[in-house]
Amino acid sequence: MKKRSDHSMQTDAAAGFSRPLRLSAGQDLRGYLTGRAARTLLFITAFVSVAAVLLIFVFVVREAVPFFKSTDAAASLSRLKEFLTRTQWFPEHEAHPEYGVLAIIVGSLYVTVVSLLIAVPIGLLAAVFLSDIASFKVRQICKPVIEILAAIPSVAYGVFAVMVAAPWLQKHLGFTTGTNALNASLILSIMALPTILSVAEDSLSAVGRDIRQASYGLGATRAETMIRVVIPAAGSGILAAVILGMMRAIGETMVVWMASGNAAQIPSPWWDLSQSVRTMTATIAGELGEVPKGTTHYHSLFAIGFLLLIFTFTLNLISESFLSRVKRRQR
Amino acid sequence: MDAIPKRSNATERRGGVQIGSPKSRPHTESAIRPEKVIIRASGFSLFYGEKMGVSDITMEIEAGSVTAIIGPSGCGKSTFLRSINRMNDLIPRTRAEGLLAVGGQDVYDKRTNLVNLRRQVGMVFQRPNPFAKSIYDNISYGPRLQGIRSRTKLNAIVQQCLEDAALWEEVKEDLHKSALALSGGQQQRLCIARTLANKPKVILMDEPCSALDPLATARIEDLIAALKGTYTIVIVTHNMQQAARVSDRTAFFCLGKLIEYDLTDKLFTNPSEKSTEDYITGRFG
Amino acid sequence: MSVRIRQVWDRLFTVLCSGSVGLLIAVLLLFLVPMIVKGGKAVFFRQTVEFRKMQRDLFGRGDLDSLHEAIARTGQARQEVLARIEQFGRGIDTKLLSDEAKDAYRKYGLELRYREVSREEYSRLRAAAKDIRDNFLAALDSTEEAAANRFLDQVDLHRDSPEFQATAVETFFTLSKQYRRILDEMDLAHREEYAAELDIVKTELRNLLGPLPGESTPPLPQDRFGATRWDVAKKHLHYLLYQTKWVPGDSGDGRLVKKEIRRDDPEAGLFAGTELAPLFSMMEKNLERMLEPEWTVYGRYFLDDSTSGHYFGGVGPEILGTLVLTVLSMCFAVPLGVLSAAYLVEYAGDNIAVRVIRTCINTLAGVPSIVYGLFGLAFFVLIVGRPCILSASLTLALLALPVIIRASEEAIRAVPQSYKEASMALGSGKFRTFLTVTLPAAGPGILTGLILSLSRAAGETAPILFAGAVALGPIPDLGLKFRWLFQPTRALSYGCYDITVGDRLAMRVPHNQFGMVFTLILLVLCLNIAAILIRSRMSKKLQGM
Repeated sequence: MKKRSDHSMQTDAAAGFSRPLRLSAGQDLRGYLTGRAARTLLFITAFVSVAAVLLIFVFVVREAVPFFKSTDAAASLSRLKEFLTRTQWFPEHEAHPEYGVLAIIVGSLYVTVVSLLIAVPIGLLAAVFLSDIASFKVRQICKPVIEILAAIPSVAYGVFAVMVAAPWLQKHLGFTTGTNALNASLILSIMALPTILSVAEDSLSAVGRDIRQASYGLGATRAETMIRVVIPAAGSGILAAVILGMMRAIGETMVVWMASGNAAQIPSPWWDLSQSVRTMTATIAGELGEVPKGTTHYHSLFAIGFLLLIFTFTLNLISESFLSRVKRRQR
Repeated sequence: MDAIPKRSNATERRGGVQIGSPKSRPHTESAIRPEKVIIRASGFSLFYGEKMGVSDITMEIEAGSVTAIIGPSGCGKSTFLRSINRMNDLIPRTRAEGLLAVGGQDVYDKRTNLVNLRRQVGMVFQRPNPFAKSIYDNISYGPRLQGIRSRTKLNAIVQQCLEDAALWEEVKEDLHKSALALSGGQQQRLCIARTLANKPKVILMDEPCSALDPLATARIEDLIAALKGTYTIVIVTHNMQQAARVSDRTAFFCLGKLIEYDLTDKLFTNPSEKSTEDYITGRFG
Repeated sequence: MSVRIRQVWDRLFTVLCSGSVGLLIAVLLLFLVPMIVKGGKAVFFRQTVEFRKMQRDLFGRGDLDSLHEAIARTGQARQEVLARIEQFGRGIDTKLLSDEAKDAYRKYGLELRYREVSREEYSRLRAAAKDIRDNFLAALDSTEEAAANRFLDQVDLHRDSPEFQATAVETFFTLSKQYRRILDEMDLAHREEYAAELDIVKTELRNLLGPLPGESTPPLPQDRFGATRWDVAKKHLHYLLYQTKWVPGDSGDGRLVKKEIRRDDPEAGLFAGTELAPLFSMMEKNLERMLEPEWTVYGRYFLDDSTSGHYFGGVGPEILGTLVLTVLSMCFAVPLGVLSAAYLVEYAGDNIAVRVIRTCINTLAGVPSIVYGLFGLAFFVLIVGRPCILSASLTLALLALPVIIRASEEAIRAVPQSYKEASMALGSGKFRTFLTVTLPAAGPGILTGLILSLSRAAGETAPILFAGAVALGPIPDLGLKFRWLFQPTRALSYGCYDITVGDRLAMRVPHNQFGMVFTLILLVLCLNIAAILIRSRMSKKLQGM
């Protein structure tokens, strides 16, 4: 068959073309090379993000390792154990510096959880409003508001926390200090809200009209449709929204540094929001500027940074798996 | 249509190559002299991943003629058309089998130079798709790619192409205005003119009038008639009247297969296949 | 459940949902309104003549003649107040009087030396003068009015003796007269209290009107001028007029409450009945004439350099630094981001490399900004050699990269396939098509992404904390030698932090604290609104095409 058609193609030559259609790479060297070069260039630039992630991990680890390095493995391990389980953080103590990071981790989680407790219900309800209740016009008004809320720099929120919110809390709620866990959590929840809201809204919209109509058709009210059908169907997207909000809150630096009071303690009693706490990010931000390079304290701050990196990396992988589940459903 | 000599003993002259299914063999007056064949498909199939686009197409297209491809939607007529200048490559995971030759050269050969292929096998799309540039820049896009920089040469090309596309009189004052400001019909003629600027041998038209009103459609059809002879035109259309009006030969595709391929007159007046008749009489499609 | 209850639930649910969006909007307003109102005061306020003096002295700006006229006018209004405080100050702070007395004695000694008198005469007169001086000083020192008057009587004994006529000793008699009058008005037992309060009054007067007559020019610019703004002047006027005291409350249980008492209050005011008392009502009445407040728009706030602690001046260097940092970081991030997006959309299929790249982009987007700061310190600063603009903008570029990649990807994906097909069908290669057709068509979308990441980079503080931002530093000169690349710079975001938490002096000028944040928010808002506008115009164009 092939041979025969080759033969016939010889006879087609009458319709000859001014340019050859078939060129080997050697014949069209320039075209071939530019095509290759473009592809390679694009691949390399796309690979920069991979390189960046690797570099971030490598260099943060490189600066963190000397903190744990000791004479032998057992000593290193005990150092690690001490780092993670003790609550005393006195790196500047001359005779006996202590590097117990537990209280700081607890502080980070504390403000994060409290802020999520505030932000998730509000964000979810607002997402329901935007996806199912609001008219097109109202949505057009609300979208920029949320965008602006997301765009305001964290340091501006920090200033608000220190200069406006803290005096207000002190005056009207009778706290001894306005910069405390409550203040930081409130502001963090404002910052996490836009993230939670937009991701949750996307996943609610992705559920589709059919399933809603089916529910309405069976006589359910809007509230019942949303709570029993749509929100469970959008579950993984909403979980991803919560995790993304959590990442935003746990990684936030300026607000917690300025508003949390920076006392390295585990709040006791645990529900007392008026106490000051200190987070991992604030510890790094507050202390790295003053420590000399290469000291144990310096390396310990990188160790905290590494912890933070692991936290967010894990959360990121989880949220990505949730979001890919949403995408698969859309297809 | 008189331009195509009718032959009674075409089977011999075709050098033993069979086109179409054995049943279509009796319509021998549709045969094309080998030296006039410009596009030749032989057992050509195209797959999108696992899905079949077209399968086992065998047909020949004559140089300088207008060939229409008709068929119900989803029959693979556009797929076949887009295979000719390999526009299907833009869709990931496409795979071709069999032979599809343009000017005697297999287009699915590994060494096929897509730039040269597409330059000489131009394409006009379903919806007019001028670039968001001026009319002048739209026309001169192709020549510029070929490295023509001289302003006078470009001016000449632009004017020539617009005249050929019967658009010059309407736009000669507005050459540097955005092409998007033109009407749909004008835009489509602009797209044809843009293709002409590459001096192609073949122009593929993928339902070029489906987005246009009847008046604009008539002008495009006039244009096709005027371009015939200089260019080989392959036009996909779902409008049978249009196929009857403009084409010399018509191919009927259904479900990814070539059902019948014959002179237009013959196909519309005396189809040899039952399904062709059903389709052109409007029983399905 | 009955239908009715279900409907009530439904209604409640709707109200809750719309309520949360309402809450969001309320939160935004609650945040923006105070920040903008308070920050706006850095630019729109009532300036005083002191402000014009400050602008003239520190920035060399303003019409000198009209300024001199204004100084003369306000000087007249101030004259009486200043005279009064000086006069009263003598009584309280006896150092002035005693200095004058000692001066007079010394002068008399010199006079005597040049007069032709005999040795004995000289000793006698000298001893007498010394006696007068000692009596006067004793009067100043004595804490009881009667004793003081007794000593003054001793001084006045010599008033009529001819030998002291027309000599320096006469000064003592005028001083004694002054002091008697002061003694009449003042309760000597409370002299300490008076002295303390007078110090406060003087400080507030300095805050209002600048250095008092006879004082040398203070070295720090913030002490050199009085109240430059009318709102500040009114605040200081209040401090001047009222004294805060802890007094027994009305409840009768002996608990003390804070109470503000006017200093010249006839019953409780400390200065009531003294020579100083009229000063307060005078200040209250004539302050406008002393300062000549007028509304002004201090547009140069956004350009001016500032004195230490942002006490005076504007945020020019901070804005410049932020612009330099962000624009430079975009120069790194945009080409990388757009080309990466092009690869992901146009070239890459669905293979493992692409999945790795995507995961890494997501990871980059999720890395906390402070970790970028750590990385900037550990990597870029290490490479460049020290914290500077280059290392800071590289850090910011990395932070903006995922944002730009995502935005560009979306924009490139949104370019209709027919565009690309048209170009391909005309025989243009893949990369050529991308450069000549896809990229221009995706331009507005990419621009939107660029502006948004620009605004994000402008607002980020944590990444540049250790990578090149400083609170005080040189202004980048932007010369072609690119030496500025290797200098640290001020930046709005870091400035906001420093001015609210780090700087003690800045805490005295809240309008400047809020002004800095106001500028940052304004910058970010403008960028975002620009992005929103571009996007809406783009969607209109796509619809109306």
